[in-house]
Amino acid sequence: MRAAYYLQRSAQLLIVVFCVTFGCSLLLQLIPVSPAEILLPVGSPEERALLTSEIGLDRGPIGYYIKWLGEFVRGDFGDIYYSGGREAVSSRLAVAFPRSMWLMIYTQVLALAIAIPLGVWSAYRVGRRTDRVISNVLFALSSVPSFAIALVLVLLVGVRWQLLPTLDYQPYSSGIWEHFKHMIMPVVSLSVGLIASYTRLLRADMIATLREDYITMAASKGLSDRRILWRHAFRPSSVTLFTSAALNMGGLIGGAIVIETIFATYGVGFEVFAAISGRQYIALQSIVGLISIFYVLFNLIVDVAAGYVDPRTRDRRINA
Amino acid sequence: MRRKHTIPTYLAFGWLAVSAFLAVFGSFLPVDSYQTIHGDFIDSPPFTSGHWFGVDSNGYDIFSGIVNGARLSIFVALVSVGIGGLIGSVLGITAAYYRGKFDTVVSTGFNVVLSVPNLVLALALVAVLATNVDINEAVPTWRRLTTLVISLTVVIIPILGRIARAATLAWSGREFVVAARSMGMRDRHIIVRHIVPNVLPALIAVGFLAVGVVIIAEASLSLLGVGIPDGASWGGMIARGRNDLEYNPHALYFPIIVLALTVISTNHIGDVLRGGLDRREGRL
Repeated sequence: MRAAYYLQRSAQLLIVVFCVTFGCSLLLQLIPVSPAEILLPVGSPEERALLTSEIGLDRGPIGYYIKWLGEFVRGDFGDIYYSGGREAVSSRLAVAFPRSMWLMIYTQVLALAIAIPLGVWSAYRVGRRTDRVISNVLFALSSVPSFAIALVLVLLVGVRWQLLPTLDYQPYSSGIWEHFKHMIMPVVSLSVGLIASYTRLLRADMIATLREDYITMAASKGLSDRRILWRHAFRPSSVTLFTSAALNMGGLIGGAIVIETIFATYGVGFEVFAAISGRQYIALQSIVGLISIFYVLFNLIVDVAAGYVDPRTRDRRINA
Repeated sequence: MRRKHTIPTYLAFGWLAVSAFLAVFGSFLPVDSYQTIHGDFIDSPPFTSGHWFGVDSNGYDIFSGIVNGARLSIFVALVSVGIGGLIGSVLGITAAYYRGKFDTVVSTGFNVVLSVPNLVLALALVAVLATNVDINEAVPTWRRLTTLVISLTVVIIPILGRIARAATLAWSGREFVVAARSMGMRDRHIIVRHIVPNVLPALIAVGFLAVGVVIIAEASLSLLGVGIPDGASWGGMIARGRNDLEYNPHALYFPIIVLALTVISTNHIGDVLRGGLDRREGRL
């Protein structure tokens, strides 16, 4: 029964990936100019014809998509063309992907590390002044776009006080502090909004959980509030929180375009932007395909993991 | 027992009223055009007489930029949320009401669009739609504006469509809908008379949140250089202010503050409306 459910769910998610990439390749055909002309601005007609057949654009929309898909599945994501040469998208991603991955991991860790205690605490003190202050401050912060926080950080921390470098990325190999120094500002600007939304989710679920009978039962057994909060209430309340966190992962890997541009982190988001502004449509299609695969993958992981965190949801999900 | 309207709610409504006023009447106010260059006042700090918010390093008055920028920022947000909300709710409501294959197609479609990050989707659409036949020719501003609105509309459709679908699913099983159907009422009438009035409050609440999403997306696109050019919107001003943030931070602060206040207001009102809904549902 459960295996069948996950199989069905995987099939649904695969369809999503197909539709995203196919939609992308249809968009490619919508451009009024032949892509070969854009990719080879100074090429001769023969060179362009060669490129068109190499990309597979002479095979019609479906034929092109099948050719692209065949190569994509085998790990060939196409090339980025520029005057005088080309570069494999995969080699660009090999550089960009770890950067986005670290950015995403640090952001999630920081956001969860702050949001979980805040959420639990404000649910425990619901309606009191601490709860109101936390909720209102976070609400205001959640409405401030991440690029605004990033620009203010650059201005104050980077330019005024000269505490942190405002540009570039450094790998682990050039020293842990070097690595983190370049990550602090992008991570902080991405986390603020997430902290707010995670805290709200956890607070709402915690408040509902704390009204359940087994919490009253635990309290009447004489367990300490701390133990009740963390051992009894937190785990069943955290399903929505972790679902939302996992769903954000795909968006953080490819969607942090503005932050990656402001801080010159040059991760996957920046590659998306570079592909779009350089009109590298084949590269764009492959990268967007990869991003949607990530989204779908995390979606599936959430489904499986939610069953373990709160076994009650297993049956509910199957019956739903 | 419960206070329906609190001070923040009044403030949020007040701020949105001011922005709406600027958006509609900004060009009739005795404020210079945002493209007027005040050569004598370049780099003036805020609170210079005649230039409350200061002047940036190009000589543009920041106050007039904000007054005039409201027009495009709010226009883009309202039009894309309006059209996107209309298309999304028609799709969502009909899908949830008729169920079956149509529903499967529509909800898969929503999921497909939602699986691509907002900004990536908007960027890709802008890039494709704003490509000229002659690639070296500049794209005229009106066409950039239309492509921007279309792209943001596509982003909004699944966000509001999903809400409409979920709300319709909840309402179409209610007794009064079943009763109307058993009386032989036509589907179209049931949807218009019974479903839409009940789904609408949820849509309006989320619509306010969507306005905030669009305003931020428009500003992000401006920062990436594909929005409305020449600092004609708040996002455009932020993009321009970013270039000399070291010497003229106020050219950046003021549009950021205005933008943030607007988004806080729409989010707050959306939130209050949604809270009211939960209470109404709770009483049933």
